[in-house]
Amino acid sequence: MGPFQHLHVASAYSLRYGSAFPPALVARAAEHGMDALALTDRDGLYGAIKHVRACHAAGIGAVVGVDLAMSDEDDRIVVLAKRDGWADLCRLVTAAHYAGDRGQPRVTMDLVGRHAADGRLIVLLGPRSEVGRAVAARRDQQARDLLQRWRAAVPGTAVEIVDLYGYRDVNTATHLLALADSLGLPAILTNAVRHLDPADYQVGNVLDAARKLVPLHGRHVESSSHAYLKNAEEMGRVALRVCGGDRARATRLLGVTRRAAEACVLDPVEVVPLIDEVDPRLHLPEIGGDPIPLLRHRCEDGLLDRGLNRSREARERLAAELAIIEKKRLSGYFVAVAGITDMIRGMGIRCAIRGSGAGSLVNYLIKIGEVNPLDHGLLMERFLSEGRVGLPDIDVDVESARRLDCYRAILDRYGESRVACVSMMETYRARSAIRDVGAAMGLPPHEIDAIAKAFPHVRAKQIRAALDDLPELRDSGLNDRALETVFRLAERLDGLPRHIALHPCGVLVGNTGLRGRTPVERSLLEFPMSQFDKDDVEDAGLLKLDVLGVRMQSALAYALTEIKRVDDADVALDEVPHDDAATYDMVRESRTIGCFQIESPGQRELVAKLEPRTMHDLIVDISLFRPGPVNSDMVTPYLESRHGFRAAVYPHAELRAALAETNGVVVFHEQVLRIVDVMTGCGLSEAEKVRRSLSSPDGRTRVRAWWEMNVRPEFDAATVEATWRVLDAFGAFGFCKAHAAAFALPTYQSAWLKRHHTAAFFAGVLTHEPGMYPNRVILDEARQCGVEVLPLDVNRSARDWRVEKVGPPSSDPPLFGQGYGLRVPFSAIKGISEAEVERMIAGQPYVSMADFWERARPSRPVAEHVIEVGGLDAVHGLRPGEPRWRPGRLTRRDLMAQVGALDRAGGQGSGQLPMAFADHVAPGELPEMSEAEAVEAELSVLGMDVTRHVIAFHDDFLDALGVVRARDLLRQRNGAEILVAGVKVATQTPAVRSGQRVIFTTLDDSTGPVDLTFFESVQAHTAATVFGSWLMVARGVIRRTGRRGISMRALHAWNLTDLDRVWRTRGIEAVREILADRPEEGRGVIGGKKITYENGYELSPYADLGVKEPQRVLWHASMGSSGKVA
Amino acid sequence: MSRLYGDPIEVWVRDGQPVRFVWRDRLYVVRQILDHWVVAREWWKTSATDPGERRFWRVEAQSGTYELRYDTATDAWLLLRAWD
Repeated sequence: MGPFQHLHVASAYSLRYGSAFPPALVARAAEHGMDALALTDRDGLYGAIKHVRACHAAGIGAVVGVDLAMSDEDDRIVVLAKRDGWADLCRLVTAAHYAGDRGQPRVTMDLVGRHAADGRLIVLLGPRSEVGRAVAARRDQQARDLLQRWRAAVPGTAVEIVDLYGYRDVNTATHLLALADSLGLPAILTNAVRHLDPADYQVGNVLDAARKLVPLHGRHVESSSHAYLKNAEEMGRVALRVCGGDRARATRLLGVTRRAAEACVLDPVEVVPLIDEVDPRLHLPEIGGDPIPLLRHRCEDGLLDRGLNRSREARERLAAELAIIEKKRLSGYFVAVAGITDMIRGMGIRCAIRGSGAGSLVNYLIKIGEVNPLDHGLLMERFLSEGRVGLPDIDVDVESARRLDCYRAILDRYGESRVACVSMMETYRARSAIRDVGAAMGLPPHEIDAIAKAFPHVRAKQIRAALDDLPELRDSGLNDRALETVFRLAERLDGLPRHIALHPCGVLVGNTGLRGRTPVERSLLEFPMSQFDKDDVEDAGLLKLDVLGVRMQSALAYALTEIKRVDDADVALDEVPHDDAATYDMVRESRTIGCFQIESPGQRELVAKLEPRTMHDLIVDISLFRPGPVNSDMVTPYLESRHGFRAAVYPHAELRAALAETNGVVVFHEQVLRIVDVMTGCGLSEAEKVRRSLSSPDGRTRVRAWWEMNVRPEFDAATVEATWRVLDAFGAFGFCKAHAAAFALPTYQSAWLKRHHTAAFFAGVLTHEPGMYPNRVILDEARQCGVEVLPLDVNRSARDWRVEKVGPPSSDPPLFGQGYGLRVPFSAIKGISEAEVERMIAGQPYVSMADFWERARPSRPVAEHVIEVGGLDAVHGLRPGEPRWRPGRLTRRDLMAQVGALDRAGGQGSGQLPMAFADHVAPGELPEMSEAEAVEAELSVLGMDVTRHVIAFHDDFLDALGVVRARDLLRQRNGAEILVAGVKVATQTPAVRSGQRVIFTTLDDSTGPVDLTFFESVQAHTAATVFGSWLMVARGVIRRTGRRGISMRALHAWNLTDLDRVWRTRGIEAVREILADRPEEGRGVIGGKKITYENGYELSPYADLGVKEPQRVLWHASMGSSGKVA
Repeated sequence: MSRLYGDPIEVWVRDGQPVRFVWRDRLYVVRQILDHWVVAREWWKTSATDPGERRFWRVEAQSGTYELRYDTATDAWLLLRAWD
C-alpha cells in the first residue's frame, strides 16, 4: 500500500479544538512515510507558516487549507488551496472574518464561489457540512440538490469521506460515497484529524467543553478518540470499511485522495519566502517613486541638518550602511518608516527609537531616531548586516495613551489594504488552564478563582510540581485528591493557544498585494490584524515596524503640559543638557522611584553603588542590570575598577580599544562583535552572525570549533580560552548597547523632570502609571520630595492628576518639590464612569452636595465614594477625626445619609426636585468618620492613602516594639539584626545567579522603602506571609553594599495586623513571645529542577521570565509571585 | 424485536474482528459484520487515568443478529442485545 495523504488536519491553532502543534504533526507524518500533509485549521491560517516550514524541513509536500463555518458553527466545510491558490485562500479567510461577527468568521456558498472562481481552491463537503447532515438524516434529495449547487458555484467541489468509528459514521460515509459516485464528483478520504495520538481525546473533550462553555458531559463532547493522525495501514482499513469491503473502490478512493493532494502541494518559497536565504522575495512598501535615490537624498539632507556633512567618519559610515541596505533592496522600507515617524511627530506625539535600530546612522540621519550612533560607538551590524538572514525591524516608542492614534494615522495614510497589525497567540498557562478545566469539571466559579489565583504565573505543566515545590502552596490544602484530576488535565492544556490578540507593537506596512500574502482578521478595536505572529510575519517576507506604546512617554508628555499650565513654562525636554549635576546627585542617592528603568529595588541598589555621573554611566547601568552581565559576574569587577579598587584588566592589549569604555569588562553586544572581529579579523557582519549562533547549544558548539580555527596566531592559548569563556557566558543574554543608549535617554529625562519639576513629573507618573509601583507608593515618594497631596475636591479636582501651587517653591534637596501639591482626580474613584467624570467637570463649581447631586448626576455609589474620601469637605467645611459626635454640625455621614434620601426620592436628573427639600440636612445626626476610617475609605475607594500613611496608625505599636524606620537604616551597622515594618509595595522573584527562588520584597513605612531579600532557606516559614499579607513586620540582617547602598536579608516575617491585634488584647509581652520564634532554616525548601543553561548558569523554575502583566492593585507582584492562598 | 442481555461471552477475533463467539453454551459463527462503532468512556467520571473505549459490533450469525461489546480497559466481551 502506498502512503496516505491527510487533507483535513486541525492543529492546536484551531483554538480550543486541536491539540497538536504543526511540527509534531509533520514529524509524525514523516515517520509514517507520508509524502504530503495538509494543515486545515479552523477559522484561520494561524499555523500555516509553521506548517510549511516544518514540511519543507522534513522534505514532504505542504498542503494548506482552512476549516470554515457556514451559517452556524456546526456546519463546516474545508477549503484547500491548490498549487497556485495560496493568495486566493488568504483572501477567502480574510473575507470570512469580515463577513461574520468578530472572532466568528462565516462564509456562504456565494462567497466561497467568488474566491474559487479561478479554480485555485478545492472545497471538501464532508459529514459536518450541510450535505453530510442531510445524508445522515436520509434527506437524500436535499443532499443531491445541495451538491449540485455547490458544483455550480465552485469548480473544485469534492465530497469528503470520514469515518471516526462513531455510531452510524460508516453508514453516512457509505451514503456520501454513493452520492458522489452518482453525481460524478470526486470523493476524498480524510480522517478529520484533531490529535496526534488516540489518547489525546481527553484533552479534546476538555477543549470541547471550554469552547462551548459547558460542563463535561457525554452530550456536549465530540467523539474524537479516532480523530488522530492514523497511518496508511489504518487509513486503508477505513477505506475498506466505507467501501463496504469493495477493494477496488477503496483503491480508487485512495487514488483520488492522492491526486488531490498532489494538486495541492504548495511551493514553500511562495508562502515562506525566507526559506530562500540568499534572495528572499520580500514584500516591500509602496512609497511612490524609486526608493534608492529617495533614501540617498534624505540621508544627504540629514548630514547637513545634523551638522555631520563635514565628518569623514559619518560619510564613510553612511556609504557602508547604504551599500548593505541597497544590496538587500530595503531602501523603500527606511523611507516608509521615516515617513511614519515624521507623521507621528507631526501629530505632536512623543516618539523615540528603541532597540538595535539606534545603531544605524541612516536612522539618525533620516530622523527616525535621536541617538547618534557615532557618539556612543554603536554598530549597525547588530541591526542589519550582510550575513544576517531575516529582516531588520525598526522599533519606535510612542506615548502609550496615543499608540492607537498612531495606528489609525498609519492606516489612513497607507490604506487598509496595505497595512495590518501583527497578532500574537495567547497560550494556556497555569491560571488560565485551571480556570477552563475547573469550569469544565463543574467547580463553582468562586472556588475556581481562588484556586487559580493561588498559583504564581507559571506554565500549566508546572502545576503539580509547584504544589510540591512551593511552601506557600504545599501547606494550602490545594494538594487535595479531589483536585488531582483538575490539575492533571490543566497540565495537558499547557502551551495550547487559546486566544488571538493584537501584538503590542507590530505593524505591517506593505503594498496592495498584502492581503494575498497574509490572512487578516479584525482585532477587538477593529484594526486589521494579520493571523501571523511576529516570527511568521518575518518568515513570510513581510516588513514590519514596531510602534510600542510606552507609558513613560505619556507620563513625560503629561508632565510637560502641566508645567505649561501651572508655571507657563515651555520645557524642551529633548534639548535639556545631559550633564545636570543635581539630577545625577538625586539618582546616586537612589531616590529614583518613578523614574524610567531605574526604580526597582535592585536598580536602586545598583545606582547607589555605580554612582552615575554621565549619560554613558546610565547606559552601562541599564546594560548591567540584565541576566547576562549578572550571569557572567561582570557587575562586581566593573564596579571595582570603576571606583579604582582594582586596575582594569584586559585579556589582551589589542582588546583594549573595544573594552576601555567599560574598564575591561564586557557589557555590550557591540563589544562581543569587536572582540570577535579583532581576534579573528572576520569583519563585523560575520561577528554578528557568530554572536547570534551563541544563543543555542548547537550554535555554541559550532562557534567553539570555529573560534579555535580562526583566532589569529598572535593570541596565545590562555587569551583564547579566557575570551571564549566570556563569549560563552554572554551567550543568549547580554545587552545591545544601542538598545541601552535608546533607553538611557528617557531614563535621564524622567530623572531630570523629577528633580526639577517634581510635582508635574509625579502628576504624569500618577496619571499614566508607567512603572512597577502602585500609585500609593508614588504618592508617598512625592510626599517625601516635599510635594503636598491634596484630597479630592469636587470644585478643584479634574479628570487626571493636577498640579496646584500651594506655597513658595523651593528646589533644595531633599524637599525639592516643595511649594506644589498634587490633587486627587475624579478618575481615581472606584467604579466611576467616563460620562460621570465629564459631567462632574462640566458642572464645576458646586455650592453644595445637593447641587453636585443634581447637576453632576453621579450614581449613588459614586456619590457616596466622593463623600467618603472628602470630595465635599471643602464645600461643606467638614473635617474627619475627633470629636466624632458634633451636634448641630454637618458630618460626612450626614451627607451619605442624604444621598440615600435623594436617591430614594428618585429626583436625580429630573429637574423636578425642590432644592429646599434636597438641601435639608439634619446636621450632626450621625457621627463623623474617624481618621482611621477616612484612610480606610481612601484605600478602598482610591486605592491609596491620601491624608495619612496607613502605617501611621500602627506607630505606637511599632515604637513599642522598637522597629527601625527606613530613614534610620543607613545608621545601622553591617550585620545588625533588626525589626522593620511597613506596607508591602512589591514582591519579585527575578532570575538570580544562584538558581534559587529568591523573593525580593519592598516595604514602605512612610519614611522610605525597605528592601528585603528572602532566600529559600527562610521561605518555609515566611512565603505564605510574604505573598498573603499587606502590612508586614520582618526581622532581618542589615547588609551594607556601598556608601549609600543598603539592603536586608530577611529571617522571618509576620502579618502586622495580626500582631497589632495581639498587642491590643494581650499586651507587648505576648507579641515578643511570637517574635521570639526562630524556626530552623531549611535547605531545599523550594523544590523543582533548576533550569540549567549550557554555560552553567542555573535558574529557579519559579523565577520571572516573562513580561509582567498590567494590574491595578495595592502592591506590585511579579509573575513568579504566588497569590493569596485561601 | 430485540432483547437486552448483557451476558459475558467468549469471542474469537481475527484481523481485529469477531469471527465466532460462545453464548449460553452455544457456538455462533459470524457471517457478516453489519455495523461497528466505538464509544470513548466518560473518563471524567472514573478515576482511572486510561478508562479505555468500548467497541461495539453488530453481527449476523446463525438464527439472528447480535450486538457485541468489547471493553478495552477490562479486556472483556459482553453480548448486549439479540434480535431473532
